[in-house]
Amino acid sequence: MGPGAREAVFAQLADAGRAEQVAQRLTDGIVLGVLDPGERLPSEPELARRFGVALITVREGLGILRVAGLVETRRGREGGSFVVRDDVEHRGILTARLRGLAQVELSDMAVYFGAILAGAAERAAERASAEDAANLAGWLSGADFSTAAAARTNQGGFLLELAVLSQSARLVREQIRLQAEFGPLLLLGLAAESARVEVADLDRRIVRAVARGRGARAREAAGELVELLARRLLAAKNRVERGGALDEPHAD
Amino acid sequence: MSRTPTEVAEAVADVFRGVFDQLAAWREPIESLLDAGPDLRAAALDGAVAELVLPRLEEPEPMLVGAGFIADGEVVRGRGVHFAWWLGPLADNPVLGSTDEPTRLDLSTRGYAEYLRDFRALEWYRIPATTRHAHVTGPYVDHLCTCDYILTLTMPVHARDGERMVGVVGADVAVRRLEGALLRDFLDVEAPLALVNEQGRVVLSTDPALQVGRLAGSGSAEVACPGTPFTVRVDPVASGSSPKI
Repeated sequence: MGPGAREAVFAQLADAGRAEQVAQRLTDGIVLGVLDPGERLPSEPELARRFGVALITVREGLGILRVAGLVETRRGREGGSFVVRDDVEHRGILTARLRGLAQVELSDMAVYFGAILAGAAERAAERASAEDAANLAGWLSGADFSTAAAARTNQGGFLLELAVLSQSARLVREQIRLQAEFGPLLLLGLAAESARVEVADLDRRIVRAVARGRGARAREAAGELVELLARRLLAAKNRVERGGALDEPHAD
Repeated sequence: MSRTPTEVAEAVADVFRGVFDQLAAWREPIESLLDAGPDLRAAALDGAVAELVLPRLEEPEPMLVGAGFIADGEVVRGRGVHFAWWLGPLADNPVLGSTDEPTRLDLSTRGYAEYLRDFRALEWYRIPATTRHAHVTGPYVDHLCTCDYILTLTMPVHARDGERMVGVVGADVAVRRLEGALLRDFLDVEAPLALVNEQGRVVLSTDPALQVGRLAGSGSAEVACPGTPFTVRVDPVASGSSPKI
């Protein structure tokens, strides 16, 4: 999962239905793999502080997750709330999440994600020094896209590094938040090798545009990247709605 | 309009001298502690560092938004790179929540630690390790600590033999705080001015067309800020390195 994804999982919540929001945020984190199986969640007081809610709200939210079988709570000195190891179950929840979101919601998320990313890419091209661009190119050439898991981690890392070059703290924060909320769904398509190849190509195109100070080209490539991922996501939505599997039949 | 660019550059130098003096003052007791025994425990080190840095982070309107000591793996037994690093209060930070007192940096809550394989490769550690001198990184958006636009000042800490660098003592200065300390001085000069780093990246500017974070081109004159990597450029222009087509 992408850099920054964890912090966004624990970022502050809006007002309504806070216990449900606590549960939803942690559920997303778990099923999308931001929080690892077996991992101990932060303590209840720490979660309360991070979410900006009362302790009782956190306990209620964790209660929802226990009932759903996503976390288990152990007592004692080594105790706490732990993410349950059950990948099959997680795929089921992810499938349910994809069903629960309408096409129009998924494509709207992609529009927003794309707008932020394209803005960050354009600014990065305008503002990156030659050294910044060389560092980003170097990082990308060493990044592993050979498996779906590695590609998801490193694609998230790439998008965040790109946002950092915009020199805008707000764009970086929004990129982190969006990657946590939507990145895992958007990066679902990286299960297919063909998608990983295309995405890595587009990443390199963005880096070239940044290195040459071509804001419009960086924006265009970022837009194509998000469009590609959105199409894969909507195809997955169609598959699960037809009763098929989350991943493409020939995904590796 | 009563100041000259040279005086403004001096004011910049004063601010950084203040922070570097602080780092030097922290470094001394840390070096003594490291000299005292090879079996230094992390808790002892952390306690000592906290005692040094917390007062500066708890000041009202603090110039420093983060500070501490980052130890090489060999210093604290059985650990990788060890962060004894504290963050000042975070005002309604959308990513990290808000805190009203300093908090310890907990890297296990920073997911990007996964792709940053070795922190020692990052500029704020690598450059002091190479040059053996203090260094200023940035301005940059720091996503590791505060998700804010900052400058990171780091100073090498050496083992008793004086040869090996065993870590860096450092502090983060928020660009907005630096601006608070310097803007009036800059506005006291009639000509437009920009404070830029070695790459020409703007930290502070009195030319509304040349905004913070951009790369500045050359100006009609420039004055180095002694003891810092920064210069004050007079009548700067936006850099030609970013043709937007």
